[in-house]
Amino acid sequence: MIAEVQNVYKKLGRVQALAGVSLEVNEGELLALLGPNGAGKTTLVSLLVGLRAPDAGRISLGGGDPRQPSSRRILGVTPQNTGFPPALRVHEVIDLARAHYPNPPGTEEILRRFDLADLAKRNVNALSGGQARRLAVALAFSGSPRLAVLDEPTTGLDVESRRALWEQIVRFKREGGTVLLTTHYLEEAEALADRVVVLARGRVLTEGSPDEIKRRVGLRRVRFAAATLPDLSGVKKVEREGDRYTLWTANADALVRELVLSGAEFSDLEVLPVSLEEAFLAVLDGEVSA
Amino acid sequence: MNLRLLLAHTKVELLTLLRSPGFLIPTMLFPSMFFLMFAAPNLKSSLAANFSTGSFMAFAVFTVTFFQFGVGIANERDNPWSSYVRTLPASPLYRSLGKVLTASILALAAALFLVITAHFSTPLDLPLSRWPRIFLALAGGGLMMGLLGTLLAYLVSPKAALPLANLIYLPLAFMGGMWMPPQLLPQLVQKLSPYLPSRQWMEVVWPAVSGDPWKAQHWLALAGFTVAFALLTVWAQRRDESIRF
Repeated sequence: MIAEVQNVYKKLGRVQALAGVSLEVNEGELLALLGPNGAGKTTLVSLLVGLRAPDAGRISLGGGDPRQPSSRRILGVTPQNTGFPPALRVHEVIDLARAHYPNPPGTEEILRRFDLADLAKRNVNALSGGQARRLAVALAFSGSPRLAVLDEPTTGLDVESRRALWEQIVRFKREGGTVLLTTHYLEEAEALADRVVVLARGRVLTEGSPDEIKRRVGLRRVRFAAATLPDLSGVKKVEREGDRYTLWTANADALVRELVLSGAEFSDLEVLPVSLEEAFLAVLDGEVSA
Repeated sequence: MNLRLLLAHTKVELLTLLRSPGFLIPTMLFPSMFFLMFAAPNLKSSLAANFSTGSFMAFAVFTVTFFQFGVGIANERDNPWSSYVRTLPASPLYRSLGKVLTASILALAAALFLVITAHFSTPLDLPLSRWPRIFLALAGGGLMMGLLGTLLAYLVSPKAALPLANLIYLPLAFMGGMWMPPQLLPQLVQKLSPYLPSRQWMEVVWPAVSGDPWKAQHWLALAGFTVAFALLTVWAQRRDESIRF
């Protein structure tokens, strides 16, 4: 285990950002922290990287307190996208990060791996959104860390740049690195993660493999008009407005098949996605069992 | 102490300032410009030129340290980049020391620039033997003003820092006697002047320039202000952290 969070509480202003969170990050795994905006992902990350102290509970990073600089030697972190210093160039920013670690890869190599070689002398504030994201992720890997913490590494990127970054993340993992990444894209967790922890309203909602999570919260809505609702299996939640029914299910295909085979009269059949946001909140409110 | 880290942070601080013309030009040029416009034409004797050059060197050091720490830190407080730097495995001391080193280098450059200006525009005559004491006097006051700037940075919002810094800086310089000898200041200002940190600073700069012995009371006053600003800065920083984290 490379990092551990034990029953942590944290209040930010008047908001209880974390309300009793526990989780473990195992050496060599890629753990995705998934959750809607405001779930507490960023707060949890800020505690793990030593930016804040918890109000209650315990955080351990490589067996030490992440508030101690020496504990953070195993750690690489992405800065937030908008947060580069005003007057520095790409290679200077990478050099600053490298200076903090005992055995960093060469600046040239980092630049090349993240496709930044042509931009080495560019002012960091003159980078495009995608380039700035690449630099942010490159910084997390600049010290050959054992644990890379990537806070929404691909938010706002096009598909191609996203895949290129995924490749670097997978490569780091293959070489034995551990990754904790936060995301609100289920596909990202699916593509990369060994394990997913879902956070919502400051609590751990559920955890499991990406497949399991997808089964639990990857829901669809099947909507149709009918006089009466036939008995159907796999229905997580029913909403009714007059003669219009909306059924939430993890397997829309099977549900529709069953509906047709039941011989019941229905019309206006629609299958609609449920956003992760809605799914999480429904689970949280106990309307749907996870 | 890890020298490589100290160098890395100093380099970043120095590059940031050297590439900000909005900081560099005013802090480097204004003191010399003021000196040329208001002081130099009236300096007929070496005694007067030495005295005035000492005052304006202090003004130059004041400008650099007060603004670098005051406005620089205020701008960084909200910046996510500072958060990132705090996740790197190094004590925050390295970054602070990097700032102090940077301020020392730039303050030295500003003071040097002023001496060169004075050398060519006035009958300045400062024997080499006086410089060690001048250096000490300038360094002591620079430290005090850097702390005052830091205090300001943690007390007010980043947007308020620049106007407020100007509001404090100009009167402190004027009333402290940095621009003209205290006996030429208006009556009321003359009465207030001795209670200001800038005036106490001048009281250690002037003897260093003239070659007279220092009076302990002025160094004590300088030390008192410095300790007070340091304690208040620690308090303000804790308060700021407790609000944000």
